[in-house]
Amino acid sequence: MPNTEHAIVVDRLCKRYGTLRAVDDISFTVNKGEVFAFLGPNGAGKSVTVEIIETIRNATSGKVAVLGLDVAKSKAEVVRRIGVLPQNFSSFDRITVRESLRYYARVFGCKADVDALMDLTNLRGKADARFNTLSGGLKQRLGIAAALVNDPEVVFLDEPTTGLDPHARRQVWDVLKGLKNRGKTVFLTTNYMEEAELLADTVAIISRGKIVAIDSPARLTEEHAEQTRLTLESIDPAALGLIAKMGFAPKPTSAGNICIPVRNPDDVRVILEEVQKAGLALPGLDVRKPNLEEVFLKLTDEPRDDGASGGPR
Amino acid sequence: MTPRIIAANLGVRLRCFYRERSAMFFTFAFPVILVLVFGTIFTKPEHLNFDLSVQDLSRSASSARFLERLTADQTFRITPVPIDVDATRYAKEHKQNLVLVIPKDFAALQARHLDPRGGPSSVPLTYVYDPSSTSVTTKIQLLSAMVAEANQKVTGSPPLFKLVPESILPERYRFIEFFVPGIIAMAIMTSCLSNALNMNAELRQKGILRKLATTPITRADWLVASMLYQLILSVVSTAAILVVSYAVFDVRLHIGIWLPLILVVEVIAFVGIGMLLTPFAKEAESASAVANAFLFPMMFLSGTFFPVEMMPAFLQSFAKLLPLYYVNEALRAAMIFVDDPATLQSVGVTAVFAAVVFAAGTFKTRWDEAT
Repeated sequence: MPNTEHAIVVDRLCKRYGTLRAVDDISFTVNKGEVFAFLGPNGAGKSVTVEIIETIRNATSGKVAVLGLDVAKSKAEVVRRIGVLPQNFSSFDRITVRESLRYYARVFGCKADVDALMDLTNLRGKADARFNTLSGGLKQRLGIAAALVNDPEVVFLDEPTTGLDPHARRQVWDVLKGLKNRGKTVFLTTNYMEEAELLADTVAIISRGKIVAIDSPARLTEEHAEQTRLTLESIDPAALGLIAKMGFAPKPTSAGNICIPVRNPDDVRVILEEVQKAGLALPGLDVRKPNLEEVFLKLTDEPRDDGASGGPR
Repeated sequence: MTPRIIAANLGVRLRCFYRERSAMFFTFAFPVILVLVFGTIFTKPEHLNFDLSVQDLSRSASSARFLERLTADQTFRITPVPIDVDATRYAKEHKQNLVLVIPKDFAALQARHLDPRGGPSSVPLTYVYDPSSTSVTTKIQLLSAMVAEANQKVTGSPPLFKLVPESILPERYRFIEFFVPGIIAMAIMTSCLSNALNMNAELRQKGILRKLATTPITRADWLVASMLYQLILSVVSTAAILVVSYAVFDVRLHIGIWLPLILVVEVIAFVGIGMLLTPFAKEAESASAVANAFLFPMMFLSGTFFPVEMMPAFLQSFAKLLPLYYVNEALRAAMIFVDDPATLQSVGVTAVFAAVVFAAGTFKTRWDEAT
């Protein structure tokens, strides 16, 4: 039975479309109060999984419980206690921000403080702007506000920053941090690794319908990412032998650079000194710390170039 | 079904409609324009005027008297044709579909006929006509009737056989009285079907439906809100049609309790059909195609513009399968013939149809899975 510490329990969930296993026997749990980031390439089964948890789609088999309630049996109750920002959120074109929020509040039958919601999402100045006049970032913020009208215990945000410019993205992140501080459980799907790294307590990566990794961003990086990498740009190929002799494993890259995995920053200094001693010119260099993006690319396959996006319809 | 949710949806729909002026124009003005155009074309004025070209070769006092009689009731407006031209060529050159030729010896022939000693004789009145013209038949019939009347007057005795018209309708019944109920039914059908399909395609395409699916709105809530919304539009649209019809054409229609009842039943039926058709119209482009595929046959075959009785028998049987036919029948029975049993029968058929469609529309329990 679902632990009360768990906001979401997914148990052996499968979704098949004909012979395609969009979601293939996955299980995981989301703790109350955490920000859970669900990552995966397009077509990996990400959106299907989320939509089953949100009660929009039916599972082929397996169980999903939200706040201890079976989503297949208690749809109405689950819907009342969660808030959803769907992918590409949209509202009625000629309805203003304030009217939209009032509408969703009435639909949920709750006395939402529309002004407070607009303050939280920084929409006060746009209260009387119609939806079709809003920019992408404002639309997403309205979507988040609309997901909060029923004061939900779990908030689902499906790609909240896709298609936004860097400023708009940071504004949405600020809103998400606010949600986290209020103790909401947030289920976030995203294509942006920095977003997951910045906001998430737990990251799950799905690939071809299966969960391939689940842990905190720091531990995932520690476990799966390469070490710190030093890249020497446009350098004489002679450096390759020189560095190999030092006990490192340099690899030439297609751009004519040399890439060297290193254990610590001191190794960088040693290598650079050696290069200088040998009298080789060094036009540029780059030192990169391990990050979630590498983990993601390593654990998920090359993006399948079959035009699939957003999963089966 | 939750009244609060239905009210919220109704409010949003009405706001959207009010703020979209072009939709408002087409919903309300289009049927009114149809009434004005068709009413003007097909409603015969009190005094019907036809042009008649007359070549008076006789140019006598008696021919002048004859022409005077012809124009007395203002049915014909006479255009004189010069006597030195050929009547056939004149008709062709001046695009006249009927030219009446009064012979040169008109006065003499008439005098001989009236003279008891003159023996049997008649006055030949030749008419040159263009059989390809559509209005010429009516003109020839009117002309024949007038000539017959003139003949009868000359003899001085009252006619032996006389036709006495007696209408089965309590009041005068013109084309416009037939047309207005048809347009009311058509306007409601068009608005219900195309709004249901377009709204759904738009919500689906934009992804609003995905958001609505994660709210407590049920399919029945949505359906009832749509019906109330369409009912409000229908009442306004019907009122506009009636106001214009009364003001411009002085129609004589009976407006009683049946009219609102028929509107309710029609709205339920067609919003329901629209809901059932949504799986075939997922994009905005296909939505209007699907709507038109239903609207046009229904419009032309259900007796909107002309009586079903004018169609061949197999099309008449087909018309009886169309819901709009029964709406038209019900509206005409209630508004023109004031025939309660006939109205009840047609309303009954429409109501059964509406109930089935409504049940089918709500039966699809998960309206969200399809997104």
